[in-house]
Amino acid sequence: MSTETVTVATPAQGQGTEWRSIPQIAVVFGLVLCIYGFIDDKQQFAYSYLTAFMFFLSIGLGSLFLVLVHHLFDAGWSAPIRRYLEHLSCLLFPWLGIAFIPIGFLAMDIYPWMHLDPHEDHALHAKAALFNKPMWYTASVVLFLLWGWLTHRLRYWSLQQDKSGTADFEGKLVFFEKFMAGFSRNFQGLPFEKDNQQVMCTRMMRIHAGYGVALFAFSLTLGCILWMKSIQHQFFSTMYGVYYFAGSVWLSISTAWIIGRILKARGHLPQLHKLQFYHLGTMLLAFTVFYAYIHFSQYFLIWNAAVPEETFWYVMREKGTWMYVGVALIVGHFVIPFLALLRIDGKLTNKLMVPIFVWVVLMHYMDMMFNVMPEIHPDGPSPALADIGSWLLIGGALAMIFIRNLFDHPVCPLRDPRMGEALEQH
Amino acid sequence: MSKHYAIIAEYDTPADIMAAAEKVHAAGYEKWDVHTPFPVHGMDDAMGLDNAKVGWFTFFGGITGLTVGMLMIYFMNKVDYDIVVGGKPLFSGFYAFPVAYEMTILLGAFGSLGGMFILNRLPRHHNPLLINDRFAAVTDDKFFVVIECEDPAYDEAVTRALLEGTDPQHIEMVEDAQ
Repeated sequence: MSTETVTVATPAQGQGTEWRSIPQIAVVFGLVLCIYGFIDDKQQFAYSYLTAFMFFLSIGLGSLFLVLVHHLFDAGWSAPIRRYLEHLSCLLFPWLGIAFIPIGFLAMDIYPWMHLDPHEDHALHAKAALFNKPMWYTASVVLFLLWGWLTHRLRYWSLQQDKSGTADFEGKLVFFEKFMAGFSRNFQGLPFEKDNQQVMCTRMMRIHAGYGVALFAFSLTLGCILWMKSIQHQFFSTMYGVYYFAGSVWLSISTAWIIGRILKARGHLPQLHKLQFYHLGTMLLAFTVFYAYIHFSQYFLIWNAAVPEETFWYVMREKGTWMYVGVALIVGHFVIPFLALLRIDGKLTNKLMVPIFVWVVLMHYMDMMFNVMPEIHPDGPSPALADIGSWLLIGGALAMIFIRNLFDHPVCPLRDPRMGEALEQH
Repeated sequence: MSKHYAIIAEYDTPADIMAAAEKVHAAGYEKWDVHTPFPVHGMDDAMGLDNAKVGWFTFFGGITGLTVGMLMIYFMNKVDYDIVVGGKPLFSGFYAFPVAYEMTILLGAFGSLGGMFILNRLPRHHNPLLINDRFAAVTDDKFFVVIECEDPAYDEAVTRALLEGTDPQHIEMVEDAQ
């Protein structure tokens, strides 16, 4: 690892800030629609809110994954985009945790199993260890605490690295970080000097990424089982966690591309070049294929085995106009973006990638609807004002927090040892 | 009888050849190439190269594979030897997909390979550059620009002057001995 420092000038602040009021307007509109939706039909509101929540949870978790992967692969190209991905992932705690509170209160209206007696329902009885109210609430809280620990420690060391070598550097090891740092130094024989603060920060981030990626996989799977799959508690699929993961990272990559483009165009992140956009575009294509592979596998195995305990989930989603949503997922979630993203040069142009981003947002939202809504709308999707309201409310609030965090700190990691590589190759 | 094949210029560093490639590209040559001991980042842009066309061969190879795979399974299971397995329909895109998908990849790969051969005009058993003694150093530490005499913009004096203007270590005419 090279330890050379790349000092990067902070761009001028305060230019082109007029667009920053959009999230505030979204929050106000969203809140009004949500209150109306809540009074009008509590259950519809609960389901709409859950759909929007799962949608935005995707961005938090997907960004966390991109940060973890950056450290695991010791990547150079993604160094300049890391900071805003860290901010996106830090939305998981406490903000998405706060956004989860209404779901906690409305859980009785969302999850039918909460009304059932496990002694009268075999499927619930078999899963009672997880699907009981105290466990559901405890696990939900624990998940947000775990994500909070992981995302905030990753960002803490990243921000400390900016200050390494200066008097502002704190770099405090907390809880078992001390143990992990000691292990790294004594047993693995890795250099872990406190006096080389820059390297120490990178090592801490990498240690968090190492166990973090396993923690991420289990916690994401548990989260989407608890909050989305348990709407039909009888269903089981080992693909479900991967399925939500694939869609989440897909959405996050597209979001990262767009945020990067905006920050570059506005002059906040001049360090971004063709290399970053090209790699993000390539990953978007890869995850388009990965999602299709995962979702097809889930469907194919269930279709082939034809066991009623599993097939009912897809049978529900082939009734009425849900059939068209399923077909639209095949065409819209896979075929169209796949063909559109095949060309190398397309992945670099706003002309393609901005419409693709809008399309990805629509498709992922439709995917979330496909998972959540058939329970209360068995005949087909029926859009409600609460859908738009809760999407605007959560999205607007998260955008406000993200923008505030982004400009409170350097937009680009200042002393990342890999930054030189990222700036060299473009 | 031997005739002129190409004019080659030799450089010592990637930076030199990068600058030379930009000049040759700006002069509007078409039948020319750059040979280096290792990949040089940014050379494609310096040479003004577009994306390789080989992707189209892959794409149409893949489409052919998907179609052929689906039709093959349809013919075998529905037409030629219809037998009900596991209560499933005689033909369904779902069970046919994994195999058709493998066919997509297979013919896509054949497309890439074939397309690469066609576009590179391979196989070719001999190239006049290979018997040039100095050119052998390209596998070690030298960098070469090669401008073929068949290039429409080629003119011996003009081209040689152009290359001399790029500050090479050495310029040489390569003969095609036949």
